[in-house]
Amino acid sequence: MKPEISCALCGQPLMTAKMKHRLLQVATEKKIKNYEEWLFLCGPCKLRKFSQRLVGDDLKKVPRAKPVPFRRREKLEVVKFAPRQQTTVYKSECFSCNQGCDAVVHVNRDGRVVKVEGDSSSHVTKGVLCSKGLASTEHLYHKDRLQYPLKRAGERGSGKWQRLSWDEALGTVVEKLNETERKYGKTGIILATGTSRGWLLPFYRFANAYGVQYTAPGTAQCALPRFTGSTLVGGTRFLENPDHEHTRTMIVWGANPTITFPVKGRAMMDAWTRGATLIVVDPMLTETSSKADLWLQLRPGTDAALALGMLNIIIQEGLCDREFVEKWCYGFEELRKRAAEYPPERVAEITWVPKEKIIQAARLFATEKPSCITIVVAIEQNADSLSTCRAIAMLSAVTGNIDVPGGNLIQMPVPVGLWLNADLALSNLLTEEQHAMRLGSKEYPLLSGKHTVSFPPSAFNSDVWKAMLTGKPYPIRAMYCQGSNMLRAYANSRVVLEAIQSLDFLAAVDFYPNETNDWADIILPAATWMERDFVTSSDQVSANSAHLQQKTVPIGECWSDVKILNELAKRLGFAHQMFDTDEAFFDYLLQPAEMTFREFKENGLIKLDWRYKKYEKKGFETPTGKVMLRDTKLENLGFDPLPQYVEPAESPIRTPELGEEYPLIITTGGRVPVFRHSEFRNIPILREIVPDLEIFLHPDTARKHGIQPGEWMVVESPRGTMEGRAAFTPGIDPRVVQVASHWPGKSNVNVIMDNEKCAPVVGSAQLRCQLCRIKKKVDRVQ
Amino acid sequence: MSNEALLVDLDACVRCYSCEIACRQENGLTFETKSRWCRVSTVGPREVGCELHLDFVPVFCLHCEEPLCARFCPVEAISKREDGRVIIDLETCVGCRQCVHGCPYGAMHFNEVTQKAGKCDLCLSRTETGIEPSCVQHCIGGALRYVGPAELRELTQGRHSVRLGRTTYLSSKWTLNPILFGSPRAEETGGR
Repeated sequence: MKPEISCALCGQPLMTAKMKHRLLQVATEKKIKNYEEWLFLCGPCKLRKFSQRLVGDDLKKVPRAKPVPFRRREKLEVVKFAPRQQTTVYKSECFSCNQGCDAVVHVNRDGRVVKVEGDSSSHVTKGVLCSKGLASTEHLYHKDRLQYPLKRAGERGSGKWQRLSWDEALGTVVEKLNETERKYGKTGIILATGTSRGWLLPFYRFANAYGVQYTAPGTAQCALPRFTGSTLVGGTRFLENPDHEHTRTMIVWGANPTITFPVKGRAMMDAWTRGATLIVVDPMLTETSSKADLWLQLRPGTDAALALGMLNIIIQEGLCDREFVEKWCYGFEELRKRAAEYPPERVAEITWVPKEKIIQAARLFATEKPSCITIVVAIEQNADSLSTCRAIAMLSAVTGNIDVPGGNLIQMPVPVGLWLNADLALSNLLTEEQHAMRLGSKEYPLLSGKHTVSFPPSAFNSDVWKAMLTGKPYPIRAMYCQGSNMLRAYANSRVVLEAIQSLDFLAAVDFYPNETNDWADIILPAATWMERDFVTSSDQVSANSAHLQQKTVPIGECWSDVKILNELAKRLGFAHQMFDTDEAFFDYLLQPAEMTFREFKENGLIKLDWRYKKYEKKGFETPTGKVMLRDTKLENLGFDPLPQYVEPAESPIRTPELGEEYPLIITTGGRVPVFRHSEFRNIPILREIVPDLEIFLHPDTARKHGIQPGEWMVVESPRGTMEGRAAFTPGIDPRVVQVASHWPGKSNVNVIMDNEKCAPVVGSAQLRCQLCRIKKKVDRVQ
Repeated sequence: MSNEALLVDLDACVRCYSCEIACRQENGLTFETKSRWCRVSTVGPREVGCELHLDFVPVFCLHCEEPLCARFCPVEAISKREDGRVIIDLETCVGCRQCVHGCPYGAMHFNEVTQKAGKCDLCLSRTETGIEPSCVQHCIGGALRYVGPAELRELTQGRHSVRLGRTTYLSSKWTLNPILFGSPRAEETGGR
């Protein structure tokens, strides 16, 4: 039966005429009132209508402060039987992204994972889990999962594969890498990775023991600038740990933690609900900025000017924590002078944020203490990302908010050597020659040079593509890529594609076939977090604890990433520098805690009580033992020792002629709640929530180009074009468009992004602030 | 236990969609079932009173006082329990879909796999053993709560609230409208 009747609002087919007749009969018989209003609407239209009516437009604000949400807490055994569901419940750690949220995995009698839930006994998550984590079973049992090692059986990119054993697959990888080494030396080989899932350190160790350089988008573009920034300033990555639980004022800077960082989002919302003030710095009205008590809607890429402007107000108005500054800060006078170059009027002009709001934010942050700052990746992708991160870290310092309850906390010495540990990474094995040869080591010393302060040194990726394509400064002919869809993750995808295609050999480790490993010669299947054991500890989410991940089920012949690295090392001849088994690696990690993995598994948690003001004992871990407002390390490397604002390389102000041709600012990387980077778009229950890429733009801007909401539209830059669906929002400046990254095919925004004009010292691409133009898409059938 | 009800604090909803996926996991609602018992709807972004607003509204079965779905059901498979829950007797359900159209809120779904009606039962199997519904446990913003009458009173005090069926929506911004579709009795409680 064909539905002849359509939804009265959206026109989608709804019901048969017979059904309509029957419904009308019932409505009349049972005297149901107003049925015309909903009876012939489809589900989604009813939903929309209901919510719009419920909320209405009668705005009358009352105080929101009330008790924090109840979060259930119960003690949970490592493995237990749940009678209600007849399942065995494994306490574990979700790694759907790379944060690590406590989760429980339910396995039924047939040995099948039936459900993943948050762990309500967790002091970290308080029982929550995000949509990605909750959909883990869909990921685990996805029909497209790679389950066996594969060897290319046709032309490159033809999608023809032949199954082979691990032994054969690893043998081929080793043979090809050795062949490349014989022809071109170690520099002919490069390793690559993405965000990883807890195994970044063993990956570094593998690379360093092998003596081969590696690259990753997740360093220069994410994590490294902000880790480096706060480490230079305060000796540790204290900015990663806002203490929302005890705070009164929160700045969330270029982040949307409610949808991207559930642990922090949960804590932030609990604080907000009990009445803490929320200041959000974001160019767009988002899930988080819509909650803000004060929203600073800045021009993308001008964060450093805003931070320096706020520093200036705090210093000029005498709102610094004088005692802390005098006792614990180095270079205050120089910072004062530098900040004075950023008076509110100038900052307002640069950032587009009204002067009054900047002043209000600075005062709130400095006086309504304790205050904390939440940052993530957005501040790391502008013209001087390191300056931006340092200036923001200094806000926390001069107001005395470092390592105090409610401020930003220095991580506790959790006795698990997992997090950015130079010994574990075997960084000491690197020779002077290797440091000198590493791509980017001269230009971007704190990314690729000998003296990096956060991650071990990695190659500057734009130079990697160049070396592959031109053979200069030396040829790179083979690549081993573990856990990265490079064609979506790196800026300027066209160049990345050409570079990958030019290789003699590419091996890739992944969960699914994708556009990157399509070009591989060997693909190795990786285990998800539900298929492996692990010990996790992250200073981003569990800075005072270590957690257990437990293997629940096997899938095909998937191996854990650590096992893949260990087994490769055995075949490449440096087994002694890696580990015999995964468990041997965990035992090594747990040595400082004086326990084995087997012992750790008994309760699955090591937790330390927080201690504050830890710096009072031995000072800050910086050259002076103090907070470095003026940085001697940068000065020695020949860079400006003070933070500064640099206009984006492409901007209407710096490049007005380009600005005429490409008049809009494009900021990319805004996240979608249900996806993680390039992952999970293949999971139907997530994809149906956000089926297509949404390009956010102001209705006035769209109107100028005749673009209707929901229509496909095109974005162009000097690099190329891409497309997505127009999503209108008055919550964005008419001069700005926001495009989420990591979408596949024509919706891959990285195709149009520049990867050449990068931030000094750390080499980040300016993904948040480039130029573009837009037009209506005419030929696509919708 | 039996007098606990769902409270939705619109201030705190962050549109993370955890409730939606938690619901699907808990109730075995695979993609093929085409059943989304819990959904988050977006109101805005829009300008009201010279300010920009973006609001999110989790929507699920309200457990109406006089459920319209039950009235549209030709075989009396839908009933209201003493504890206020509206439940479907799947043995009786003939899968005619009249209730799906009859629900004004889009909360009733047709399960394409079982070919029967389906909707939120406030996680009966969890709540009966003293655990809150899955959407409540996983709510990142802390917008969803499963509370008894005393806590409900405390939380709604001084704020705008609307009780629809067994579900109370709460806001410190919007005065909130009782929705008077057909006959579900909408009561206003406090705050306005």
